[in-house]
Amino acid sequence: MKSRMLLAGIAMTGVAALAACSTGEGVDLDGADGRVLTAAIAGEPDQLDPHKTTSYFSFQVLENIYDTLVEPDENLEMQPALAEDWELSDDQLTWTFELREGVTFHDGSEFTADDVVYSYNRIIDEELSNAWRLSAITDITATDDTTVEITVAQPTPNLLSSLGGFKGLAIVSEDNAESGDISTAPVGTGPFSLENYTSGDSIELVANEDYWGGAPEIAGVTFRFISEGSTALAALKSGDVDWTDSIPAQQVQGLEGDDTIVLGQNPSNDYWYLAMNQAKEPWNDVRVRQAVAYAIDRDAIAQVTSYGTAEVNQLAIPKASSWYSEYDTYSTDVDQAKSLMADAGVPSAEMELLVSSDYPESVAAAQVIADNLAEIGITVSISSPDFASWLDAQNAGRFDMLMMSWLGNIDPDDFYYAQHHSAGGSNAQQYSNPEVDALLDEARTETDTDARKALYDEAAALIADDASYIYLYNPSVIQAWSPELEDYEARGDRAIRFKSVSFSD
Amino acid sequence: MRGVLENTTVRFLARRLAYTAVVLVGVMVVVFSIVQLVPGDPVRIALGTRYTEASYEALRAASGLDRPLWEQFVGYLGGALTGDLGVSFRNGEPVTAVLLERLPATISLALAGLVIGLAVALPAGIYSALREGRLSDGIVRIASQFGVSVPDFWMGMLLITLFSSVLGWLPSSGYVAITDDPLEWLRRVTLPAITMGIVAGSIMTRYIRAAVLDVASMGYIRTARSKGLAPKVVTFRHIVRNALVPVLTITGIQMATMLGGVIVVEVVFAWPGLGRLVFDAVASRDYPIIQGAVLLIAVMFLLINLLVDVLYAVVDPRIRLS
Repeated sequence: MKSRMLLAGIAMTGVAALAACSTGEGVDLDGADGRVLTAAIAGEPDQLDPHKTTSYFSFQVLENIYDTLVEPDENLEMQPALAEDWELSDDQLTWTFELREGVTFHDGSEFTADDVVYSYNRIIDEELSNAWRLSAITDITATDDTTVEITVAQPTPNLLSSLGGFKGLAIVSEDNAESGDISTAPVGTGPFSLENYTSGDSIELVANEDYWGGAPEIAGVTFRFISEGSTALAALKSGDVDWTDSIPAQQVQGLEGDDTIVLGQNPSNDYWYLAMNQAKEPWNDVRVRQAVAYAIDRDAIAQVTSYGTAEVNQLAIPKASSWYSEYDTYSTDVDQAKSLMADAGVPSAEMELLVSSDYPESVAAAQVIADNLAEIGITVSISSPDFASWLDAQNAGRFDMLMMSWLGNIDPDDFYYAQHHSAGGSNAQQYSNPEVDALLDEARTETDTDARKALYDEAAALIADDASYIYLYNPSVIQAWSPELEDYEARGDRAIRFKSVSFSD
Repeated sequence: MRGVLENTTVRFLARRLAYTAVVLVGVMVVVFSIVQLVPGDPVRIALGTRYTEASYEALRAASGLDRPLWEQFVGYLGGALTGDLGVSFRNGEPVTAVLLERLPATISLALAGLVIGLAVALPAGIYSALREGRLSDGIVRIASQFGVSVPDFWMGMLLITLFSSVLGWLPSSGYVAITDDPLEWLRRVTLPAITMGIVAGSIMTRYIRAAVLDVASMGYIRTARSKGLAPKVVTFRHIVRNALVPVLTITGIQMATMLGGVIVVEVVFAWPGLGRLVFDAVASRDYPIIQGAVLLIAVMFLLINLLVDVLYAVVDPRIRLS
């Protein structure tokens, strides 16, 4: 007994001695330039080429290294960035962008119109993952060093959000991209430049003193990869890190009211939905689809998938967006659902519900949905393959109903056209309503914002009435940071921007 | 006589080496089969949602999956023997380079864990065996049972909560190379090493206790005692030294296990070693990395076993002749 106590004593003393050697973590002062912010993200980027990566972890870092021509403000409206100003021709087919002068890349080379032309052509010519966002473009020309002309095939009011919605459309340096260095040592024009990358551990950025928007107040940002949420939170509370989004949803409740941290929780622009295969009976009957929409319990689904942190929504676009419109036709009403089923002459049905094991929340939701639908005579069998097989099944139409989410949309065209236009590229449920087609086509080229919104509101209501998608909820962006961190905001588009933050003393 | 001895030693080592080589080939067959047994198309899975036919064909050709099975195996075998384990699906980096980059973090953590484990297990195991059946023996046995059973994940969180959140003495996570800053490395390795050391130490305590008890019941110990040798001499020269052989075995196994990267510990403490690499590779279905890591871990296991066998021969001459 004594010796065990002694051992424990030695261990404790050793730990204390180590602690005494510490110079105080997290308050590393870097001269007069301020403090380095340490951010814990939940995983490691696969690569740092903004045009090639599809990983959110990459974009968390790249948001701070790169710029786009325009960028969304906190209300997700497009504001000048590398382009100072732009004009649209009367026929709405030519966009002329005036670029900011005196901007340099992190390697010191000057930013010119040629870089814009190179970047967009790279995405289009190499058919990179965001090429579809530029599909309306027929020509990109640098008319002089600071002017770029973009020609589109038809009026494209959402061009700005396609060009600036996220850093996947970043303006890159040709030398950096052609050398291949871009995947590990990207060179951008943004507020921070890459200093060091330790595989498996961290990425260090330092402030770009020459940033066109003014040098950041903090000296730099270190992104650390901490996939275990409890570890990240412990590191935040002990001051090892200043910011994290590696937070398990079930811990959010426990963090509310904790004054050692600031919790940021905002419904995002992402959304989850159900879609029934309208090429199959009985799902081709709108009454059966509406019955399903009345039978499901959205609140219960949001509870199991997100511990109640998500915001239920019967349309796709969240409240905070300027494109939001109100719609609350459906409620959980089993009697209404049963009478719709009776009207359709479908007393009972078998349904294969397709979800993916790569998205555990969809598997959890599927259990609730199966329970809900059993009450109206629909027997659900759940199939949960990996995501690649899920995609195959979706594309081949091998499903009765599926559950999935769409991420990162800003413009309403992104929310509705591909999914619900009868010629849309992602209309796997095979929805076709000529009225909706006409509205979406018209809205696509309508340049008056208010008129455009009215068209989308109408289309969205029809889509929900027809239950082309049964919208479920917008998951929340959940982030936490140190109370010393000032001027940081959790954004609905999940962009992590540290350029204007500072530390209080 | 001396010539005969050397001869048998050489034969013993040659036999061990041959055995290692056979196991290695078996391991490579298994590792190679991982990709073949995956349901679905691994290239398709690796590429995710949006990709072009060209990039699909390119990755398929680069990973050799378009060739006949036997050709793939011969290619893999040949590549592996020359240190070429293919490229990562995730970012196209050579697998060998990725593995070598992660190895130092895992080795330094494993050694620190082993040191802590032995520091606990040697005194506790010997003490407990010599006090067999008494209260203190019972306490050590219960404590070591607790150490074996407690999930390392939970132990890690407990240590983080105590030393990092509450006391604020040590950082909860992160890695600094020992060659960059030895003191900072020590601060950061302490909690994960204690977590691993508790588990390894508990397992070794039980083995050491059993080994010491085993030797202590031998006839020659009774003889030594009845000869009137001092108890200390009996304990340390006769019992402990002879108990070393099984202790060596379990130490080797523990070291090999920790070198394989204790996945949970590395993930909890965000330690950029092999375990974390395997965890991330499984999550992103990066099969070349998974294959490479499994092969490397198996090779390290075999090498350590070989080393332990050689050490046996040094410690115990009888083994050479068997």
